[in-house]
Amino acid sequence: MQAHPRQKIFLPPERSGRNHKTPERTTIEKPLYFRSRSFVGQFACVLRVAVGSGTASELLCLFLYPRDTRRNKTCRSRNRAALSNIEQAVAATKFDQVRTADETASPQRASTLLSGKRGLLLLSWLAPAALVIVWEVLARAGWISPQVLPAPDRIIATAIKLTTTGSLLNDLGVSLLRAAAGFAIGGSVGFVLGILVGFSRVAEAAIDRSVQMIRAIPFLAVLPLVIVWLGVGEAEKIFLVALGVTFPIYINTTLGIRQVDPKLIELGRVQGLGQLELIRRIVLPGALPSILTGVRYALATAWLALVVAETIGAQSGLGFLAMDAREFLRTDVIVLTIVIYALIGVAADAIARLLERRLLAWHPNYGGGR
Amino acid sequence: MTVHVTPPSSSAAVASPAVVVSNLRRAYGNRVVIDRLNLRIERGEFVALLGESGCGKTTLLRALAGLDPVQGGRIAAPRRPAVVFQEHRLLPWDSLWRNVSLGLQVPDARERAADALAEVGLGDRLDDWPRNLSGGQAQRVALARALVQQPELLLLDEPFASLDALTRIRMHDLVRELVANHRPGVLLVTHDVDEAIALADRILVMRDGAIAFEHRKADDSASIERAALLAELGVFASTRP
Repeated sequence: MQAHPRQKIFLPPERSGRNHKTPERTTIEKPLYFRSRSFVGQFACVLRVAVGSGTASELLCLFLYPRDTRRNKTCRSRNRAALSNIEQAVAATKFDQVRTADETASPQRASTLLSGKRGLLLLSWLAPAALVIVWEVLARAGWISPQVLPAPDRIIATAIKLTTTGSLLNDLGVSLLRAAAGFAIGGSVGFVLGILVGFSRVAEAAIDRSVQMIRAIPFLAVLPLVIVWLGVGEAEKIFLVALGVTFPIYINTTLGIRQVDPKLIELGRVQGLGQLELIRRIVLPGALPSILTGVRYALATAWLALVVAETIGAQSGLGFLAMDAREFLRTDVIVLTIVIYALIGVAADAIARLLERRLLAWHPNYGGGR
Repeated sequence: MTVHVTPPSSSAAVASPAVVVSNLRRAYGNRVVIDRLNLRIERGEFVALLGESGCGKTTLLRALAGLDPVQGGRIAAPRRPAVVFQEHRLLPWDSLWRNVSLGLQVPDARERAADALAEVGLGDRLDDWPRNLSGGQAQRVALARALVQQPELLLLDEPFASLDALTRIRMHDLVRELVANHRPGVLLVTHDVDEAIALADRILVMRDGAIAFEHRKADDSASIERAALLAELGVFASTRP
């Protein structure tokens, strides 16, 4: 807790008297925690923030100002100088000197802000990489039993082995095919129902309430019933995925159609568009952002449905791989399947985002605006 | 106290009217908004319609545009009129030329749209997005979209109300020029007396659901009396020097 007394410098009563920044704000702007030289010191300070004050805003500052962590590595010498400044200030116990230290720090801040965006990107990738390294180190040191969580390198080795000699690719293909088939069926049903309800009040009266009622059922709850109906074959799995996909697509399609600016529809009528042209030129493009949100959401649901469906009575697929490995306590294979599930989830989301960026290039929130 | 406007007989070009409205009636529930309204606009004639808020100006325009069903009376227009609204109403997902050619059923839609955009001074922005336009530019595209249809009747629903003063003056010049070139009949709904005086050949004041006052520019060779128009709108000269 060495940083503790130093940190106090930045909370002088006079500063709060200056009235343009509250003391809390000052701590956020000058997170001295990150400037302490040792990792332990940092950790302690982070802990202090989390436990001591515990406010959401202070916790947030850890994420908002991670560049200070980076600066800790790159500009260490400069920080030493700054620290010695501060130490002098402590010796003198004059707050106006501290203020000058503040001011010398601000151009530094500006310069890191310029290169800050790339730094943040780098950090956003370094942090998970560091986690994996910590995991690897802990596993190798024997702190984590391989029965509980095998080391990352072990998992990679298993992946290579299963790909070359085993059936990993085949299982992956089977799983992807199930997801794709379920998504196609569920997506089509949801989209068509959504369009009907979006356009026709009669269809809304006839369909919407029933769909909303069925939607209230957690779709995984019908699994036993689906097994009774369809057995534990492919049909059951595809059905479950389709069921999970239908509702997000349905809801977002109707919502999107409803949200199309009526003034634009009026314009279409003034310009003499026919009903079909009106839908094609105005309603569907206007509803597209919402529909794509539905697609993104549905991708996640599809994946969830697939995992559950494959865990029960599968003869192939990733879920089968995992359940089979469980029989033999092959934690490495289980973790591998989990990792693959995660990777595919990320990939699906990336595809959905790419679609958004392509199809919504006109939209200030998606396309060129960012 | 409704004054019926008789069709103009003095005008030389009585060839074809852009629109003839006779005994139009429109009510929302029990509230009668338009009551036995008569109006005739010739092709090439620029008519401004003034009136207090809620007097039925926009209702009349919507009826002429075919956006509301006719409840009573008759609207005879040879073709579907073009409308420019107060907001530009450009489709944000379509490029400018696609916006301008919306509803055009011709094979050379892009060329026509390009011509129309060039006419409003945006000929180099064919493939640009609406979001990159300023308010005045967007309204110019809306004008191009209306004129590319070669309408016989052009309805302008306070199209300059949300523009700044300078842009508005430039838009006035542009509209005058475009109307002179295309010669549609124009009905401009506006709150702005000066705008009406600057643009219109004929100024109508609407009150109680009918045309209450009509002023023709040709009537007195000098200019339309601003004070008289304002008085018709219930604003008396003493309130403004």
